Amino acid sequence: MYPDHLPLSTQLNQAHAQAWQTISAPGDFFTGAQRLEMVRISRQAIGCKLCEARQSAISPNAISGEHDGHSSLDNTIVEMIHRIRTDPGRLTKSWFDHTTQTISKQAYVEIVSVVTSAVIIDTLHNSLGQGVPNLPLSIRGRVGKNFNQDAVEAGAWVPLLAAGADTTDTDHLPEVPNIIRALGLVPSAVALFFGTFRPHYTLKDIQLSISQSQAEFIAARVSAMNECFY
Amino acid sequence: MLLRASGQNENASYNINSITDSQLESGVKHAQHLRALTEAAISSDWLKLAEIRPQIESAIGRQQTVDTLVVASAFNGITRVADATGIPLDDNVALATVSLRNETGIQRFEYAEKSDRYG
Repeated sequence: MYPDHLPLSTQLNQAHAQAWQTISAPGDFFTGAQRLEMVRISRQAIGCKLCEARQSAISPNAISGEHDGHSSLDNTIVEMIHRIRTDPGRLTKSWFDHTTQTISKQAYVEIVSVVTSAVIIDTLHNSLGQGVPNLPLSIRGRVGKNFNQDAVEAGAWVPLLAAGADTTDTDHLPEVPNIIRALGLVPSAVALFFGTFRPHYTLKDIQLSISQSQAEFIAARVSAMNECFY
Repeated sequence: MLLRASGQNENASYNINSITDSQLESGVKHAQHLRALTEAAISSDWLKLAEIRPQIESAIGRQQTVDTLVVASAFNGITRVADATGIPLDDNVALATVSLRNETGIQRFEYAEKSDRYG
């Protein structure tokens, strides 16, 4: 997916190519064509006039209207994608509750996984001056409709992957942090997102030219910019 | 918290408040370059990034410049997973970071507080 002259690992290159392939194929609640449309809408959200007006408002709920562009996806899904792409720091439980009156929590989780995986790929491409990669052709097939029936309510908006309270010996971090559990309602969503994310970062012994503390500094700065509490 | 933990592992001390206050010195090597690249990438300011990338490559090297963007792009995705799913802090992290969250202003990002502000 990237030109050979860029100093990126083979693992990252392969992971992104695999993510693109996975997104273009049927998921558990959406077809490949619908999943690719989510990526297209996510790109269209950058520069959307309604999103820009909302970002300038004290509350995004103060401004109503229609998002730029057209889509074959339901308006609730379009709204969800625009908000996740352009204003993630001001998503709230009441917004989530409203959204999931129209779509199931399982479908919601799949959308989050597709959009956020594409955000990683598009951000890196753009950051390296490559422009966003072309979308592949969709792969036909039936949606799987699989989800994790053992997911648990654990204080998040969505049911999480069940996990014990064990912590790692050295850092007192949980063996399975909540961020790993977040998409656990839909196993294919976990696989897509973390398959994309994993070559970028590890909690310790990071395999990049920058140090762990430099990586944490960057991560913390992104979290602050996106107003991410976690 | 992870930045603080890295500092302990590296026998270094980092100023956590520098995350939300760019006027403060962080103590992290090349922090000003890492910050500039990260902020341009997360703001989708591709023109600025195209302008500063060669300058920063000269200062810290091409590989470190690219790897900074590799990490920033990953967190541009994963912060959205956290924000869209409303996951709580892990219990021990929540306990260990009460003062840190208040000092840095991160507490105002807490999801219930956001709901109070934005509805």
